[in-house]
Amino acid sequence: MSKQKHTMQPQPSHDESVRQDFVTDLRAYLTDEIYSLITPHYEKNIEPEFFQTNDRKPIDKSEVKTLMHNDKGYQSWSLLQRLSQQMMFTSVIDTVERNLDSMIDNLDKHQTTGSLEIDHSLRIPKYLTAYDIHQQPGGYHSESIENDISAGAVYDISLPIYSRNAMGEENDLLAQAIICYIDEHLKNIEPNHILDMGCGIGNSTLPFSKKYPNARVFGVDVAVPCLRYAHARANALGVEAHFSQQNVEKTSYESESFGLVTSTLLLHETSHDAVPKIINECFRLLEPGGWMIHLDVYPFHKKEDNPLYDFLKDWEVINNNENFSGALRNMNMRKIIQDAGFSDETIKFTSAEAAAKYSKGYTGDFYLKLPVYLAQKPTNS
Amino acid sequence: MSKKIKLPRVAKGKKPRYLDDGSIDNLMAMIMTLTQEISVLRDRIDTFEQILEDKNVISEKEFDEFIPSDDLETTRKNRRHQLLERVLLPIKKDLE
Repeated sequence: MSKQKHTMQPQPSHDESVRQDFVTDLRAYLTDEIYSLITPHYEKNIEPEFFQTNDRKPIDKSEVKTLMHNDKGYQSWSLLQRLSQQMMFTSVIDTVERNLDSMIDNLDKHQTTGSLEIDHSLRIPKYLTAYDIHQQPGGYHSESIENDISAGAVYDISLPIYSRNAMGEENDLLAQAIICYIDEHLKNIEPNHILDMGCGIGNSTLPFSKKYPNARVFGVDVAVPCLRYAHARANALGVEAHFSQQNVEKTSYESESFGLVTSTLLLHETSHDAVPKIINECFRLLEPGGWMIHLDVYPFHKKEDNPLYDFLKDWEVINNNENFSGALRNMNMRKIIQDAGFSDETIKFTSAEAAAKYSKGYTGDFYLKLPVYLAQKPTNS
Repeated sequence: MSKKIKLPRVAKGKKPRYLDDGSIDNLMAMIMTLTQEISVLRDRIDTFEQILEDKNVISEKEFDEFIPSDDLETTRKNRRHQLLERVLLPIKKDLE
């Protein structure tokens, strides 16, 4: 099967292609065959040894952390998992770098529908420049050449490798999960204007254009290479959407402009200061009766009683440059949403599932159930 | 148009430390097994290409533009799983 999913993606050479396949299978192996041994190993060997000396089990994730960081089996898996992420990016960067000139030339042919606005004066927030999120070299915002789209292309090609091909042909599983949730629980909404916050390459933006063909769909992000790629990618897929470079903490749209505001995997890449600002901005942007829906990695409403699982959840924080995702779990999101002015009885921390019927190409169950938090702006506000 | 771009290949951020001397043994075993497998593969491909070239059946371009069928992709996936099984055996043993 060809790896090229649309005309903005480059075709990898034979060796690049099989190198990428190797990383996909390595990651599958590490999860299925190695990571699956960690909990039994902990329960059989590590915890009993701790019990012998301390006459009790480890009580929290920091105690577990000390034990695990001294365990060579766990540390070996952890190192391999981190390396697999690096191997993923280098194997994809080879393809993007080799084809970058022709991809940039190809942008001209992908400008027919939708729009793209770039704000050259926008400052990239520190939480995105202090380190490269997910170890993607250069992050999502860096540019190496005029009209650079490499960060967007690298992200687009890496997602299937990262997710074991579970994201669907158009990398849209997460947005499809939100749409499934809306269909089941918010049946009557018919937004005329929709905003996708932190849209990146627009893979979670376009499903809303398709779902609501009469609505105008907007995507904002701070990362220019991703936005340029997003606009061209939307054209390659023949879907209309309007992209602009803005910080979601404070956008330029007028108040009450949108019937629906969404984000996927945005909040855990921001900061303590940014989260309340983003929620307040959602409130300002929504029409009375409008909904905001955020999809993220970790649920807020569940307290983790097992210190091992609590520790394992922080793996990405320590090892994959997701520095804020651990801290986000400890924030009082309900209060932040209440303080913004959302109707208390409409605030929900639940989960969304994508169903295969909604899109093509879903082959795994990797991301099939993810937490969503949503709330409605009062109709009389 | 040829601008000779070089994209970054190393991510900015803290680098955690993982291994003590005990694990280096495993690492060395893995690297050597991998090297052996790569050497076997390289020699096999070399033989293959040489025979095909001698018989005038295939060009280098055809190799690079080849897209495998779904069946071949499954065969390869299984083969890679077996390769990883052999290479990562020492790590599995540590977790038993």
